[in-house]
Amino acid sequence: MDLLDKYKKAWENQPEEANKLSAVEIYKIAQSKSSSIVKWIFIIGLLEFVVLNALYFLIDMDQAYAEYEKMGLENFIFYSQIIAYIILFYFLWMFYMNYKRISAVDSTKKLMTKIIKTRKTVRNYVLFNLGYMVLIMFTVTIASINLKFDALNTKKILLIIVLTIIVTALILGLLWLFYQLLYGILLKKLNRNYKELAKLDAIN
Amino acid sequence: MQKDLEAKFLSDFEKNQNIAHKICRIYTTNQDAHNDLFQEITIQVWKNYSKFRGDSKFSTWMYRVALNTAISLYRKSTRTIKTQDINDVVYKIKSTDYDDTEERQLAALYKAIHKLNDIDKALILLYLENKPYKEISETLGISRVNARVKMNRAKEKLKKFLIP
Repeated sequence: MDLLDKYKKAWENQPEEANKLSAVEIYKIAQSKSSSIVKWIFIIGLLEFVVLNALYFLIDMDQAYAEYEKMGLENFIFYSQIIAYIILFYFLWMFYMNYKRISAVDSTKKLMTKIIKTRKTVRNYVLFNLGYMVLIMFTVTIASINLKFDALNTKKILLIIVLTIIVTALILGLLWLFYQLLYGILLKKLNRNYKELAKLDAIN
Repeated sequence: MQKDLEAKFLSDFEKNQNIAHKICRIYTTNQDAHNDLFQEITIQVWKNYSKFRGDSKFSTWMYRVALNTAISLYRKSTRTIKTQDINDVVYKIKSTDYDDTEERQLAALYKAIHKLNDIDKALILLYLENKPYKEISETLGISRVNARVKMNRAKEKLKKFLIP
């Protein structure tokens, strides 16, 4: 270690920072707003909950319900929405609790684990929502085929099914891309550092 | 109560601000980024100061919060200007009574540290600051055995960067 010892001595003898801050300056800085990654995850996460749920307000629900009734789906929609809201509140609660638990006082690894967990809660909520949307989409498709069954030939039915699958896949693909981009950029550094620490546990 | 806490924080932080400056110097390469990271470290130390119980030294506790900020919480400043890199790394260090060879060694050391990844930077900093393995493993959240393994690798990497 002789090589490093030499440099270590230079490190130990390094002069103190020339631009030392006074207590007043430190006070001012401490009061300024944080722009940490955790804050961004919290803001983006909340936006995701809001945006996903706002989508329902864009749709004319009365008209949609009238359609559902025609298809005989009103009970299915009613109960599945109650369940969806219970699940929404569960996820919101988990998200908030995970966020509250994040603390810079933890060890580096624990802190990173908690940050990743907070993000995963939102990701799981989005996955649940997408799954729910897909379920509704297919149920409605099947019900509408059922409704007009006599008027449709096999070719048309197949076309409807294929179109539904393509549209669903497109929407899912776009959302996935958006996610990769959003969190990819935000968490690139964190994920890399987390892997660096987690790698060790795998070896030993 | 709040005023007491604030006064204690300011006094502790002012005395130990060099820890934050050292961490900023190894994790950033220009003055803007240095100031950004320094600001985030100050905010995080203050935000968590009420959780500081005093069962360890303030400096030990501050290394942890400051390193966590640099490694996990701080998002690299998008304003980072590449052109004024390494040269102004050892910016504004008082050079009075400072041996010229040591100054060059220090500049080389910073340059080499900048090439390490974030975790290795933390390990090397804690090594240079003479921290015991117990503290290193607790700060990073890895076992002492792993800390040793990782430290040896980080030192090897650093040596390679020092003698190209």
